Amino acid sequence: MKAYQADIAKFEASDTQVFGVSADSVYANREFAKQNGITFPILSDFAKRSVVKDYGIFNEEGGYGNRATFVIDKDGIIQHIDEGSVAIDPAGAADACNILTHKKATP
Amino acid sequence: MIKIVFSLVVILFAAASLAAQQPSAPAPTQTPAVKAPAAPPVAPHTNLKVGQAAPDFTLPSTIVGADGRGVRYKLSDFKGKKNVVLAFYVFAFTGG
Repeated sequence: MKAYQADIAKFEASDTQVFGVSADSVYANREFAKQNGITFPILSDFAKRSVVKDYGIFNEEGGYGNRATFVIDKDGIIQHIDEGSVAIDPAGAADACNILTHKKATP
Repeated sequence: MIKIVFSLVVILFAAASLAAQQPSAPAPTQTPAVKAPAAPPVAPHTNLKVGQAAPDFTLPSTIVGADGRGVRYKLSDFKGKKNVVLAFYVFAFTGG
């Protein structure tokens, strides 16, 4: 998440809202955000874990999840997916957002 | 005759696989954990694909509003306004 924080200006420049999503409680996430200087919202899918399940990145038996990044355009359509270790690096997502912005800019 | 050929093939195959195993078994090089520990060996994979609609949700967040209460975000509120990046770290404290 720190890498996304470092690149936050890039995302903001391409008219993009970044969210972290975790299955930790709001309180745990606030502590995490404080310790790591995360300014973008971290969402808590703590109560039902329905979102991490909807996005197919939570293993109920193991109780662990995959790292994944989804880029969603202004129409609510998924435009880019990074999974696993690739998702740690925000470069792919940043590029995807950049392309989306330019697509909109050029009629 | 066929049986002999067959057993020869079996023996050869067994020998070959043994030989293949010999040079392997490299000691797992334990690099001192500087950053995140390795990901779990088996990770679930998303069934969602590029081009599909993102499942909507409303979730509480780390952000505190002017009223002192936690802000909840709804994905569909961003429709027509902004692109959204969702960076999933299922457990923020595990694995950096």
